[in-house]
Amino acid sequence: MRRCLVIEDDPDNAEYVARGLADQGWLVTLCPDATDAVGRAIDQTWDVIVLDRMLPDDVDGLSILEALRSQGRRTPVLVLSALGATDERVRGLKAGCDDYLTKPFSLDELAARIEALVRRSQPEHAPREIRVADLRIDLISRSVDRAGRAIPLQPREFRLLAYLMLNHGRTVTRSMLLESVWDYRFDPQTNLIDVHISRLRNKIDRDAAPPLIHTVRGVGYSLAADPPASPGEP
Amino acid sequence: MRGLARWWSSIAFRQALTYAVLVIITMAILLIIVYEESVGTWRSRVDRQIESTTHRLVEYYQRNGSDALAAHIASLLGDGIDSDTEVYTLIGADGRKVAGNLTVTANLTRPTPAIEDFPVERAGRPSHSRLSVSSLGDGALLVVGRDMQDLQAFDELMRRASLWGGLATIAMAIAGALLFRRQLEHRISAIRRTALEIERGDLAQRVPISLKDDEFARLSRDINAMLDRIHDLMEGVRHVSNTVAHNIRTPLSRVMARLDTARAAGDASTQVPLAVETAITEIQDINIVLDKLLRIAEVESGTRRQAFKALAVNAIAVDALDLYDALAETRGLTLSHTFAQNPTTNGDGDLLANAVANLLDNAVKYTPSGGRIHVETHSEGSQVSISVRDSGRGIPEAVRAQVGTRFFRVDRSVPGSGLGLASVRAIAHLHGGSLELLDGAPGLIARLILPASSPS
Repeated sequence: MRRCLVIEDDPDNAEYVARGLADQGWLVTLCPDATDAVGRAIDQTWDVIVLDRMLPDDVDGLSILEALRSQGRRTPVLVLSALGATDERVRGLKAGCDDYLTKPFSLDELAARIEALVRRSQPEHAPREIRVADLRIDLISRSVDRAGRAIPLQPREFRLLAYLMLNHGRTVTRSMLLESVWDYRFDPQTNLIDVHISRLRNKIDRDAAPPLIHTVRGVGYSLAADPPASPGEP
Repeated sequence: MRGLARWWSSIAFRQALTYAVLVIITMAILLIIVYEESVGTWRSRVDRQIESTTHRLVEYYQRNGSDALAAHIASLLGDGIDSDTEVYTLIGADGRKVAGNLTVTANLTRPTPAIEDFPVERAGRPSHSRLSVSSLGDGALLVVGRDMQDLQAFDELMRRASLWGGLATIAMAIAGALLFRRQLEHRISAIRRTALEIERGDLAQRVPISLKDDEFARLSRDINAMLDRIHDLMEGVRHVSNTVAHNIRTPLSRVMARLDTARAAGDASTQVPLAVETAITEIQDINIVLDKLLRIAEVESGTRRQAFKALAVNAIAVDALDLYDALAETRGLTLSHTFAQNPTTNGDGDLLANAVANLLDNAVKYTPSGGRIHVETHSEGSQVSISVRDSGRGIPEAVRAQVGTRFFRVDRSVPGSGLGLASVRAIAHLHGGSLELLDGAPGLIARLILPASSPS
């Protein structure tokens, strides 16, 4: 089972995160104490660590992260913070965190980002080619085909598809796409990402079955052979 | 001692004293030059005279002999010309005085190589004289010289003048220092009084400006301008906290109302899922507002300036166009561009990309289907710009100045936070540029103006 350490002092928030991640099949260990945190983060082997920035006694979560990194541990770390501004985010990334999420957040966003983090940290995270059902993408020659028929894509469409394929079977959120594919960190007031996805769908799914790009309502998208099981539906 | 320390701590006193010392040194140098020039010239003229007289008398002796010279000396001393300063004495080979006006000659026993100062006794009283002692060949010595007593009187005069002059200068300097200090304190105390009032909480106080347009008047005006700016900033902060409170409390009270209604209706009511849905949406919106406010605050704090580097303006526009072309097409909008030749600026790439994306987001949002959006980069002199021109309904002239202040919205029926253009404006200011909103007739031209970077 995949193991996740959650370093968070607020019991309600910790409980919320733990329950949400447990539903996604994570074995969650809570650590509410900052003095304990460094030891636990270093001693055991975790698949991912969720770290709160502001801990009791004025401890900055980033100091725990720095301690962990100075011990040579590469465990993926997602930092949670109420300090949302860009500068703080840059500080977090400099200290060695792999992703940064501001409070309050939805569990779906957290779960999606953790999945992407774990995928990136695995040794085979840079494959040459990925196949999902009859869709094949070659990341070196930058070519795509479905059922043997080549699909020409614009560079941005290719990057979007590559990101979805790399995270196939997992949900990715709109803000993850905006950050990873376009390198923008802002909050569009328009359905910007949906339009890009719908164009990609037209090229990938129009003349083929079954559809591979699925909408995850209220969260984002997922690329998979089978539609994702939605807890809200029977 | 403590009194002295107090005086010394006054900058006016120290300055006046420094000037006094400079004046005294200047005066001393002047006196030395005057003394050297006048006395030195006079002395060399005396020496030349002594030399020529000696030469003449030695010749006279060689021609006419010792007795004739003694008689000649006696006649020179008796002729009434320079008789109170001239010195002539003939000393015989046996060392005794033959003729002349020196009373004691014991220290004049051998010829001198040059003209020297000698303490002698002339006509019965001590005298400092410049003397030339020459040998006459047969052991006799001829002394020719000049009494320098009057020079000593002149020296004494100079000394006295220096002393009194010096004392007068010091007295004037001290008086000047006191006066200077008083004037300075008088001018500064006005500024200090104002500062004290402000420190006590009366922020409306300003430094009174004197009628003289001097350094202090200018300083006072600068201080007042600074105080005005602080006042404006504080007003701005007050306005922001009020609007922030309003913009967060309003959705919060909506959430409260919904939840309250749901609670009253009971657990099984259809009100419950509706209330939960509303609460989540509203809280997400509040979260977005807070995030945007934090970003604007961060941009305004200027810390991001440290990460500035040279950027190609066209590349920023290309990325934004790439992000928005699909959306524009879906909405039936024509998205076009014209680019200037490689304009560059210094800045934060992420922030400028966000600013341009914000402008495009607005244009797409407010332009009805069938409209046009045109992105243009421009370079002129020390400025570069990125403009986004749409064919929407534009912004009425009357409210255009208010657009870009936090939470101001032209049309409240369209969803939005009222922070997009505020953030673009903050980003423009951070880069030393500005955001211009112009009438596109029809539509709006939003122009982000930035300082051009020198090509390096």
